[in-house]
Amino acid sequence: MYKAVIIGGSAGSFQVITRILNSLPPTFPLPVLLSLHRLKHVRSGFVEALSIKSSIPVIEPYDKDQIKPGKAYLAPANYHMFIELGNRIALSTEEPVNHSRPSIDLSFSTAAQVYREKLIGIILSGANKDGAYGLKKIKDFGGLTIVQDPEECQVKTMTEASLKLSKVDHVLSTQEIIRFLQNLKQ
Amino acid sequence: MIIRYDIGIVETRNIIKTIFDTYGYDFRDYALTSFKRRLEDVITENGLRDADGLIYRLQNNKDFFDSFLKEITPETTEMFRDPSLWRTLRDDILLDIVKSSTNKPKIWIANFDSGEELYSLHIILKELHLLESVQVYLSYMSESVKKKVLSGRIDQKQTEVNEANYERTNGQHKFGEYFTSSPMGTFFDTSLLSGVTFTKQDTFFTNPPGGIKLLLFRNQTIYYNQSHQDKALGNLHDSLVAGGFLALGTRETLDNTNINHKFTVVNDPDKIYKKKTG
Repeated sequence: MYKAVIIGGSAGSFQVITRILNSLPPTFPLPVLLSLHRLKHVRSGFVEALSIKSSIPVIEPYDKDQIKPGKAYLAPANYHMFIELGNRIALSTEEPVNHSRPSIDLSFSTAAQVYREKLIGIILSGANKDGAYGLKKIKDFGGLTIVQDPEECQVKTMTEASLKLSKVDHVLSTQEIIRFLQNLKQ
Repeated sequence: MIIRYDIGIVETRNIIKTIFDTYGYDFRDYALTSFKRRLEDVITENGLRDADGLIYRLQNNKDFFDSFLKEITPETTEMFRDPSLWRTLRDDILLDIVKSSTNKPKIWIANFDSGEELYSLHIILKELHLLESVQVYLSYMSESVKKKVLSGRIDQKQTEVNEANYERTNGQHKFGEYFTSSPMGTFFDTSLLSGVTFTKQDTFFTNPPGGIKLLLFRNQTIYYNQSHQDKALGNLHDSLVAGGFLALGTRETLDNTNINHKFTVVNDPDKIYKKKTG
């Protein structure tokens, strides 16, 4: 019933993302969109690091790439990553939002408009409030929202801001997020 | 929290139609998500209430349209974005195109730059002592963007990023030498820009300068859909001489365009292409 999973994270989220990607079945039925804060001037290395342990391919998309199930799409350094009508990636070099490019708010809110109630949004550990507004947008469009348990986060600013801004469906530990994703059927 | 005015897709299309009918500028095949977002910014920042408010203003105020064009065009936001591209231009391409030309070779920054690409190029040209040896063109749509670019004003908040990028290009000078700062702001040394020719363009670049040896068109096709991309890139291709260079943004590619077969890849990470002969 869902069409995509989108995950946002910043400081302290790398290990969590790695564990999630490692635990997904190779036949995971949905695309996984990753909007993660990263060093803007370092273009290579991140996608390789995530790929090492991932059970699904991790791609740094080119503009207008078609989004396909069973693949993870990592927002490239120094670009915003939007989801465009027609299930495509659209990149942008517009000004940073919340001091961030990629901005999680922008990835999440554009995905919410395209996938509406068929989207799962997950906010992980992070040190600013980027993502809270985007998660609210997913909720507003009827999607399912999950926040990593702040008690478990290395930095809990982002998850706490998300919990404050909207009524989140689930607060889960990394292990519970993994189990939830493993149980998803198309 | 951000309070934004949200417009729907039908309203977005109505605004685009108004612009086309009133002014002839064609945004019909711009990528919808970012264009809609920028329309929402224009509505919010100008206190226009809603899509109808914007349509009314567009139809009845020609001066507003020029500032609308400025606001609808994303700013370049940083100088020397992707330092490796600028290193390649300096070390491998610029001297080469000057040496291989009998007249002043033409360089065209075709994307709608807010100044950062132009200033970066001129710092590199200055350090190569080539300012007098090339002819630089810059596209513009909005008169107020042109004015802003000529003023040399840069966003002070970006100085740190700009300087760090410059240092990554292994620039030969102190970055600050190219600027003056005062309570009025930070300004690029515009005496370096005296040879620049501004060329007014529509969204398809239907009136290109021609005979271009190096064309910078970075992070512009990301705002287009396929059909707009093919048409604009077709015109840009025609403006390049055989053997001329085209640079796109690092996550843009010619792979899915109908002119891909007319170019070879010179540098894949920095997306530099060379136009084939014939």
